[in-house]
Amino acid sequence: MYRLFLALRYLLTRPINILGMLGVTLGVWALIVVVSIFSGFIAVVTEHIRSAGADLSLLARDGADSPFERERPAQPLDEHKLRELLEADPDVAGTAPRLVHFGLVHRRGHRPPPPPLLGRSALQGGDVPFLFVLGIDPAREATATGFRSWLQVRDPALAVADPDDPLRRIDDLPTMLLGEERMRAEGLKPGDKVVLTTGRVAAGNVAATAIEPLHVEFAVAGAYRTRHGGFDGNNLLVDLVTLGKLLRPDQAHPVQELSIRLHPGADLTAARNRIAELARQAAGTRPGETGPVVRTWRERNQSLLQSVEHQRALMKIVLIVIMVVAAFLMYATLSMMVAEKTGDIGILTAMGGSAFGIMQVFLSCGVAITLAGVLLGTVTGCLSAIYLEEFRQFVLGLTGVDLFPLKVYNLDRVPHELDPVWIAQVAAMAMLIGALVSALPALRAARHDPLVSLRGA
Amino acid sequence: MTTPVLAAEGLHKSYRLGRTEIPVLKGVDLQVLPGEMVALLGMSGAGKSTLLHLLGLLDVPTGGAVRYDGAATTGLSAAARARLRHRHVGFVFQFYHLIPELTALQNVLLGKMMHRSVLQYLGERRQVKQQAIDLLTQVGLAQRLRHRPAELSGGERQRVAIARALMTAPRVILADEPTGNLDSATAEGVIELLFQINQERGIAFVIVTHNEDIAARCHRTVRLRDGRVVN
Repeated sequence: MYRLFLALRYLLTRPINILGMLGVTLGVWALIVVVSIFSGFIAVVTEHIRSAGADLSLLARDGADSPFERERPAQPLDEHKLRELLEADPDVAGTAPRLVHFGLVHRRGHRPPPPPLLGRSALQGGDVPFLFVLGIDPAREATATGFRSWLQVRDPALAVADPDDPLRRIDDLPTMLLGEERMRAEGLKPGDKVVLTTGRVAAGNVAATAIEPLHVEFAVAGAYRTRHGGFDGNNLLVDLVTLGKLLRPDQAHPVQELSIRLHPGADLTAARNRIAELARQAAGTRPGETGPVVRTWRERNQSLLQSVEHQRALMKIVLIVIMVVAAFLMYATLSMMVAEKTGDIGILTAMGGSAFGIMQVFLSCGVAITLAGVLLGTVTGCLSAIYLEEFRQFVLGLTGVDLFPLKVYNLDRVPHELDPVWIAQVAAMAMLIGALVSALPALRAARHDPLVSLRGA
Repeated sequence: MTTPVLAAEGLHKSYRLGRTEIPVLKGVDLQVLPGEMVALLGMSGAGKSTLLHLLGLLDVPTGGAVRYDGAATTGLSAAARARLRHRHVGFVFQFYHLIPELTALQNVLLGKMMHRSVLQYLGERRQVKQQAIDLLTQVGLAQRLRHRPAELSGGERQRVAIARALMTAPRVILADEPTGNLDSATAEGVIELLFQINQERGIAFVIVTHNEDIAARCHRTVRLRDGRVVN
């Protein structure tokens, strides 16, 4: 009984204990809030990426969507043959052909800006003129992706005139669709004339070593908007046939990519493997040869998703260091308590207290301080994560300082995702660390010679 | 023949300082009978406090034995010594050693909390609390129950310490210079209280003191010199 009673008295009468508790609270709070924001951010980014692509992409060959690999053009896909095969698959709901190229867009009479350094691309791509040029068939694209919904932009002045025929020629010019933010940033509006500067393989150059420049005038048909700012900022959409004729006048149906939508509930991996096998058979690819490949939407965006995951993992490590600092604070608090209470250790021993009992007194204090810190940290952490957006708006209104600029990440509000497993892990880890660092001063108290205390004043 | 409540048989105690062994007690024999008041006199460094600690099982002798009611305590585990100490002995120290976070009443109650589970203690809480109040009343602190040690005078603190020692109804109280930190008037009051408790409750006392007057009032005086009993 005396262990509990004394531990309680020591806890309630020593304000310094609050410091130890606040250290644990801060560590737990940070681990819950920051990781929940990252988890929420990953969930939102995943959703955004998902909104801007098809379930599966059938590529002419591995690396065919890479600007480096494009120097060695893949054999175009036999789209008609593949379409027949795929539409017979029970999981396939729709397919859409794509031609993928790249280029610089600038106003007429303006000199095209230099292409950016390799690897440099803002998340939204709004600051670079270098774009991927996607040749699409609007009607087919709508069956494989959310293309129809992409045309519903926020600013009606930038919307296409006819969503049923979004890439209809204007003033007898081919048209293009640009991301809404890019259009706004560059001051473009539907009907404006721009020039696409790109290159194409010189006619008859089979080895694809000679590239000739190409400048084509386009009219801006309007804007599109997925939820994936990176996609919108880096891609412009043009008519598949128009782009095909510009790049490969000698090929009737040059298709590099086939977007595939699956029926809801279909097994993505199983469908990918089955369709890849179908495509390789259709292309006559032999084992060991490079041929068509199929990638899931997640695989195509693996680097971005992995990068955010990596940042979250890194942040966890950084925050665990905060927990270690909190542990040192706990250790210091308990050590001070033990140092101040050596006199009590002597009299408790004289009254019949055992070394184990004395250790329990101080260990109970440490565990109680940790438990209070964990509970407070967990509650405030969860509440902070849930109400962070309201807090951001409050601070913004009060001071004008935006703690979390949402526009940069194309978000509506500060995201969060509270993972009960992670919260339990954090709480358990904090309790374990708290118990361990409390055990050291408690052991020291237990090993303290009571006679030293009793002899002293 | 009456069995001593406390006995020391050929007690030796030495401490090591590096490679040097320093003997403090060199074969001390002592018997304390039930209800007896024994004064332990001696110069500083004679080994009085060391003997008291050995008698109270706070330390382990290098040689010899301590007996409680005739039973040897040699070879007992630390936990068993703690339990025996709790049941058999009470301590009163020169510097009181009260726990500053607790009130006078709580300091006294602490003795009853030892070696009891929470449920056991809660079951007998009312009686125990009344017992503690009665003891504090007996030592003249009925009005100071809720005061913390910092709010009490030296004499009052020592009275709380005496009440605490009595709380477990020990067979013997070991008092290490109980008046050494008090002015003479207060010291007189405390000594009076110890003698009153001895008479009323029949508890034996071993009182370490430098004061010959106090020693003269005890039933017996034992003098220590250089680690040996000289009378």
